[in-house]
Amino acid sequence: MTRLTLLPLTLIATMAIASPAAAHGMKVFAKVVGGEVSGYGFFIGGGRPQGVAWQADMGATALAEGQTDAMGAFAFAAPKAVTAPVIITLNTGDGHIARATLGPERFGAAPVALPAQQENAPSPAAPAPEVAAPDVAALVEAAVAREVAPLMERLEQMDNRMRVTDLMSGIFLIIGLAGMALWARGRRK
Amino acid sequence: MAHIPDGLLTLPVLIGTGALAAGGVALGLRALDDRAIPRVALLAAVFFAASLVAVPVGPSSVHLMLSGLMGVMLGWGIFPAVLVALALQAALFGLGGLTTLGTNTLNIALPGALVGMVLGPMIRSATSPARAGALAALGAVLAVAGTAAGVALALFLSAPEFTPAVKVLGLTYLPLALVEAGVSGAIVTFLARVEPHALHPNLHSVEDQPA
Repeated sequence: MTRLTLLPLTLIATMAIASPAAAHGMKVFAKVVGGEVSGYGFFIGGGRPQGVAWQADMGATALAEGQTDAMGAFAFAAPKAVTAPVIITLNTGDGHIARATLGPERFGAAPVALPAQQENAPSPAAPAPEVAAPDVAALVEAAVAREVAPLMERLEQMDNRMRVTDLMSGIFLIIGLAGMALWARGRRK
Repeated sequence: MAHIPDGLLTLPVLIGTGALAAGGVALGLRALDDRAIPRVALLAAVFFAASLVAVPVGPSSVHLMLSGLMGVMLGWGIFPAVLVALALQAALFGLGGLTTLGTNTLNIALPGALVGMVLGPMIRSATSPARAGALAALGAVLAVAGTAAGVALALFLSAPEFTPAVKVLGLTYLPLALVEAGVSGAIVTFLARVEPHALHPNLHSVEDQPA
């Protein structure tokens, strides 16, 4: 039993040391900048899905499709009017399928809503700055999207980062379950 | 791959595979005794950890499953082991999903259990450790093929447009099957040499009477 116990433990240890941050599973990262939707697929733990079919849909309407490039990236023009969440699907063809959903708010939230807000704010307080409100809105939007994009990317990565602590907690949970099962069996005797 | 995420499969597929997986888990739990519990837990931990080491292959990415080995060593005990490990992977790492837990458990555990049932007795009665290892390698290949077929079938039944392409499957699962064969073969050769009892799922009951 000791040898038997040692073998899996060695395996686990090797795996944990070899690549603590690696994992498996595909994710899609997508961002909207200046009227273009772009992004890429990635495998948790490394690797990009290259030359893989992707497809973008808004509700029932297909927006665009194509194949990812060497970096697993895709891009297409953002739709004029966003009526439903835009869903980008990557399918490697071997059962790895991942989706990213971009809600309408990611497309600069309805060209209708934002200028309305803008008008509300400046008109009573400061009388008419020279630039037209919709222009400012578009500029701010583009700038913010540009600034936020790397942050979003980082968030996505952190979200998927495998930590040794997660791994260890899983293993100890399993050991705990085994202990509970043994205890329950011991009581029944 | 073997981890089908939430939201792809239709309800009948989820329920059907879930029920089958529950049956397998029940069979596995019934076979658990004091000796089996730590073994199931250990291999569940190995399976849990192994799936976190992903290797990019072609357009995709693969990881070890060792389901053939688990089937030989655990018999039907592979079902609870895989279920627990998959549940933890879904909860901690977002691999697969909670609704597809039954489907994924079935796809991974059933081929392993069948390999254990068919090849297990031959491996245990093999005349030399090398022969046992070779049989285990064959079992690993079959288990991977079974899992690939299960994933393909589940996707085909739910969303035909997502059915994996045979070419891509071959491209990604073939290297995986070969690596699995190597690893499983090495482990079984080692166990057959130093601890042949470890290859028996159950020492008390009649040899290889599953369920």
